[in-house]
Amino acid sequence: MKVRLDTYRELGISIALVVMIGVFAFINPVYIRTNNLIDIVQQSTVNGMLAIGITFTIITGGIDLSVGSTFAVVIVSVGMLVTNGVPPLVGVAIGIIIGLTLGIVNGLLITKMKLQPFIATLGMMSVYRGVAYVMTGGWPVVRIPREFRDLTDGRVIGEIPVSVFSLIAFAIIAHVLLNRTRFGAYLYAIGGNEQATRLSGVNVDRTKVFAYGFCGIGAALAGMVLLGRLGSGEPTAGITYELLAIAAAAVGGTSLAGGKGTITGTLLGALLLSALRVGLIVAGMDSFWQFIATGLVIVVAAYFEVIQQRLRFQRNKKPVVTP
Amino acid sequence: MKRTMCMVVIGLVVLSLGVAPVFSGGARDGGTRPAIQLMPDEPFNPDTADGVDFMDMRRSLGPIPDPGANIRLGAVAKAFENEYWRTLRSGMQTAETNLKDRGYDIIVDVRSALGEGDEQGQLSIVFDMVNRDYSALLLSPITDSNLIPGVERAARQGIPVINVNDGLINIAPNFVGPRAVQNGELAAEWIANRLGGQGKVAIVIGMPTAFAARQRTLGFESWMRANAPGIQIVEQQNADWSRARARELAEIWINTHPDLNAIFCNNDTMALGVQEAVNASGRDILVVGVDGIGEAYDSIRAGEMAATIDSFPYFKGQIAVEVALRVLGGQDLPRVVWTPQALIDSSNVNVAAAEIINWQEPDFAR
Repeated sequence: MKVRLDTYRELGISIALVVMIGVFAFINPVYIRTNNLIDIVQQSTVNGMLAIGITFTIITGGIDLSVGSTFAVVIVSVGMLVTNGVPPLVGVAIGIIIGLTLGIVNGLLITKMKLQPFIATLGMMSVYRGVAYVMTGGWPVVRIPREFRDLTDGRVIGEIPVSVFSLIAFAIIAHVLLNRTRFGAYLYAIGGNEQATRLSGVNVDRTKVFAYGFCGIGAALAGMVLLGRLGSGEPTAGITYELLAIAAAAVGGTSLAGGKGTITGTLLGALLLSALRVGLIVAGMDSFWQFIATGLVIVVAAYFEVIQQRLRFQRNKKPVVTP
Repeated sequence: MKRTMCMVVIGLVVLSLGVAPVFSGGARDGGTRPAIQLMPDEPFNPDTADGVDFMDMRRSLGPIPDPGANIRLGAVAKAFENEYWRTLRSGMQTAETNLKDRGYDIIVDVRSALGEGDEQGQLSIVFDMVNRDYSALLLSPITDSNLIPGVERAARQGIPVINVNDGLINIAPNFVGPRAVQNGELAAEWIANRLGGQGKVAIVIGMPTAFAARQRTLGFESWMRANAPGIQIVEQQNADWSRARARELAEIWINTHPDLNAIFCNNDTMALGVQEAVNASGRDILVVGVDGIGEAYDSIRAGEMAATIDSFPYFKGQIAVEVALRVLGGQDLPRVVWTPQALIDSSNVNVAAAEIINWQEPDFAR
């Protein structure tokens, strides 16, 4: 039952995506050239990784506002390591560990200190950002070695960058965790009814800490992709990225109330936002109007979600529940 | 327990009351200075206002006056996270050192908000400086309006306010900064020469609401329209000063315009992002930025970025302190003092900045 409805949802976004691509291609045929399509996918990778991570926390009924700052800490620390001769693969491993650690700190604040996820991660958003500034004195880390850049965002098959494959790999891992493991089932259960889950003997705290840790890993991967792409690491990187990541998850059908959401949906959400942004630029739309268009797409996507829920209730011959 | 906490809190409050006069101990006797006349609250464009080049100012006004003992200048920047503001600060500190060496009794206190979104925090710093009755304020507001209450309070208390580029305070009696529109003109002229007057160019705009971004873009466009009819501006979009977004824009434009020749960016950070996209595409596109940050110099030296327009914040900071002293010394200045800027490309990237703008140390009255 769950699978079928999620498929509906994802079908809906896919159709929206195809329609949108059709419209932009009609406005400017350059839009569907291979290079441009690769750009759309490439430009969704950073947000995609952040969004997959944040989806985990949202499913538990929480949120992680600190992803953009975690992202910056990883960017500057890995940047400093690799410019000082640390091998790229070791740098990536350390980056993942840093992301995981910062995420776990968030998780501990939420579970052990019983803080609201919104407040805890709002606080850590500022703390981690400050750490990135203090580490660098505000200066960007420059001259990232070519080997590291090739490892995280070089071109491999044809013109497709490594980051696209990293995103797919990360998404598969996330999908398997959510759908094929007990951990995933617990996550949904916690988001659905935390108290009941706790009473049925699940270690809720540990599960949540894992979810925030995983979110930190997503931020770390995204950071290292951007570090490779730009060849320099700025402590200001990722400001407001958390909002874009939340938007991708929400457009993809993740409910901010918790208990609901899929990785495929989130990925499609990130892709849709990227396709929209590239499309508006290719169409030459005035930048002030782009804000309006982007916001409207998010609102309309959310409304589709509401309509689908209503249809589902009607089909099940249950009373209509207004959201 | 509660009582102990109460005692601690009360103790701290009493202590801070006792300490406050020590902190503001350097303050001059408040309330004795006549209020400062502010400018009318009308749109103000320092590019076209009544102004003077800083060299002409020195020629006509002579040496820097000594306004007397206990000069406390308070400077408020936008964000030290940004290299520009750190460099401006070091320019102000250099001026302070030079003046002290000459025997001036001066302190320059340079502070910044917590990031470019901290409008309220920046205002609090200004209020604090007014409360300490500083001699003059050098302000670079985050928005056109966030420091207005602080400026009004300072004026009532007789504290002169000098607006230091960028961020505009339209009621401030003095402004120090470069002609923003000239930034864009220099870039346009250089690109037009390089392309032989023919070709397609694109513009990456900063924050579209920022004065500097608007004027730089305007200067570029109007110079091209007037002087290079063969050059077509095919695209312009904002990237909000962000390197990542600028790179994304450039990637898209490189696909949509196979014959793009040059990209002008409203600042260097965005130009560096654009240069990455150009490098990845393997195409030969000229990238020109504005600001002259260290990374842009390195990029030009490495043969990547084509040029940048440096407005020399290090010297701008020194000029701002100089203007403050002239105002305090009672000299009559035009509303705007224009600071130097120059285009940097491979031909002069290794020349010292002081030589490029022919910088000379000012004369001192003391």
